[in-house]
Amino acid sequence: MSNVLRPYLAAVRSTLTAALTLENFSSQVVERHNKPEVEAAGSKEVLLNPLIISRNENERVLIEPSINSIRLSIKIKQADEIERILCHKFTRFMMQRAESFIVLRRKPVPGYDISFLITNTHSETMLKHKIVDFIIQFMEEVDREISEMKLSLNARARIVAESYLTAIST
Amino acid sequence: MPEVFTISQTPVTAHAFNGDRSQVAVSLNSNDAQILTRSGSEWTSNELLSEHDKTITSIDWAPNSNQIVTASQDRNAYVWQQTPDPVTGKTIWKPTLVLLRINRAATHVRWSPKEDKFAVASGARAIAICSFDPENNWWVSKLLKKPIRSTVLTVEWHPNNVLLAAGSADMKARVFSAYIKEIDERPAATVWGSKLPFNTICAEFASAAGGWVHGVGFSPSGDVLAFASHDSSISIAYPGGPVHTIRIPTLPLVTLTWTSEDMIIAAGHDCQPMVFNGSDAGWQEIGTLDDGSHAGPKAGPSTVGRLKTGAFATFRAADSRGQSDLGTADTKLTTIHQNTITSIRPYEGAAGQVTKVSTTGVDGKLVIWDTASISALTGRMGAMSMN
Amino acid sequence: MDGAFRKIDIDAFDEDVLQESELYEADSRDPAQVLEEVKARQTSVRSYLAKNDVPGALTAILENAPYGPNVEDAKTISLQTLLTILNSTKSTEIPNVLKALSMDSQDTLMKYLYKGMAMSGWADSNASVLLSWHEKLTEIAGTGCIVRTMTDRRTV
Repeated sequence: MSNVLRPYLAAVRSTLTAALTLENFSSQVVERHNKPEVEAAGSKEVLLNPLIISRNENERVLIEPSINSIRLSIKIKQADEIERILCHKFTRFMMQRAESFIVLRRKPVPGYDISFLITNTHSETMLKHKIVDFIIQFMEEVDREISEMKLSLNARARIVAESYLTAIST
Repeated sequence: MPEVFTISQTPVTAHAFNGDRSQVAVSLNSNDAQILTRSGSEWTSNELLSEHDKTITSIDWAPNSNQIVTASQDRNAYVWQQTPDPVTGKTIWKPTLVLLRINRAATHVRWSPKEDKFAVASGARAIAICSFDPENNWWVSKLLKKPIRSTVLTVEWHPNNVLLAAGSADMKARVFSAYIKEIDERPAATVWGSKLPFNTICAEFASAAGGWVHGVGFSPSGDVLAFASHDSSISIAYPGGPVHTIRIPTLPLVTLTWTSEDMIIAAGHDCQPMVFNGSDAGWQEIGTLDDGSHAGPKAGPSTVGRLKTGAFATFRAADSRGQSDLGTADTKLTTIHQNTITSIRPYEGAAGQVTKVSTTGVDGKLVIWDTASISALTGRMGAMSMN
Repeated sequence: MDGAFRKIDIDAFDEDVLQESELYEADSRDPAQVLEEVKARQTSVRSYLAKNDVPGALTAILENAPYGPNVEDAKTISLQTLLTILNSTKSTEIPNVLKALSMDSQDTLMKYLYKGMAMSGWADSNASVLLSWHEKLTEIAGTGCIVRTMTDRRTV
């Protein structure tokens, strides 16, 4: 299982690097506006083909590039009901604090668990390769975080059950 | 050795030198343009040109008539001239309004070779060709509209002062006639055509894999057109003859300049200027001006196959031992520019024998390169993925 | 009060707007003819594979790949044929096979790799093969190849 993780992250890394070729682009639909074209979707010619990188059915990344912004959406592994709940709570927690993550989107794209919106302003104020690193690190850690939470949840459930049932058994 | 100046921490959106290269006009991703004067190894700001109320997108400085033109996303362009201040008598830069008649952002501006007109590219799917109207003391414009279908990203003049090349987001590079009968003499016939009324389309090119055309340029003789598009390719088009497309293995190029009839220097998202050489028989990439020797101590010996040592090792550590050293690793790029190069311009030498070029980029650096010191490219992944 | 008119995308009626079909040159071939060609290629790929000629098989399937609308069947068959080639190649051979391909074929192969990963229901069985080919191809053809997959509207 783990030997697929490296090529998966490498594919995300190279695709994201290729997509992060952004420039300042003022809207050609609305006067004096400058908005992320991938969200506005006002002119087709400035959007590029969206690409999907999948590790398996349940883990995939969607990258939607455009001339001045890209949207990256991650579907996080959810093997069972507990992981599903944990993942939902975890992503919700972060998306409610989206402004402290700067590139995080407040709402995921349908079919995915969490989305990032990177605009040309981000790639100008931050180093591009650091943004890529951040996303890759996030992907590595979110899996680990969820499995750790699952473990501690199970452990806690066991302790609660033990102490509760000990009281009955005596 | 390239000369490196760190102008600011913010992106430099555009730069233009004056005739004797003692001053440079830059825009630091803001509503103002600055004029910097060279003092030794530093550039100091001594004048602020503020009139625009949106980000300035492009600047050009006419070397002989000493006029600056700025274009901005606020749909306006201004021509700046040095005049004595009526009150203090000091020489100041004074803006003149340009009647652009466009309703979207102005994206790029260039003076014509004779400096009597300039072209403003815009998001209004049009190019404004502006000329001076002495009666009203302002600049008036004529619009090139058909058949542009999307934002024009770049313009460049032909040496004959009449033809204009434009690259746009509808994935086409075009050659237009910008002949204005009040100003221009009848141009001699060129390879692009002989009868050239205003808005004649002389040629239209596109790269096979599509992609917005970010940079265009005529060769010094004006007989060849080169354009860089977003599919990571540079195409060299001979009118009526072959179109050579070089697909590069790295990230897209956004700006280019001809240094001689057989040499092009282009740069972009890969952060280093690449050199292309050829003739009508064929073109190829021959190297880069950035030899990577300016990188920090971490790069250096392991430049070849950096992929294996950098990203590969990181992922292997993450994969086999669950370790991640991404946060701590120093990921300074091995190139001089640390982010996209957005503008490259000739700095020294006559047209056709350019010996030095200047570049500015999103990382706020201004670099002056010697065009003769070319070194081979290392690594095919491009600088961006090497860390 | 009926507010439906507020939802009308008025920008779509702007006559200057570029349509999807104007972004690339349409395939001049007839859909039925394309399907025939793809089926014929499927057979020739099998004979190449029988001879153990992987570069030949890849070139055969990647040249003149079907693109554009109305040829969904031909696209699916091409992808299936390609996957059989990819699955039957030893991972140590991949770099040499890729180096033998022309730049056009490399670009087209990259498009198919992404298409393979995007197909829902296919990912489980093929993801690891596609990912390892993707990694090798990126090493050889560079990130420029991925950029071209994004910009090229002639989707396979």
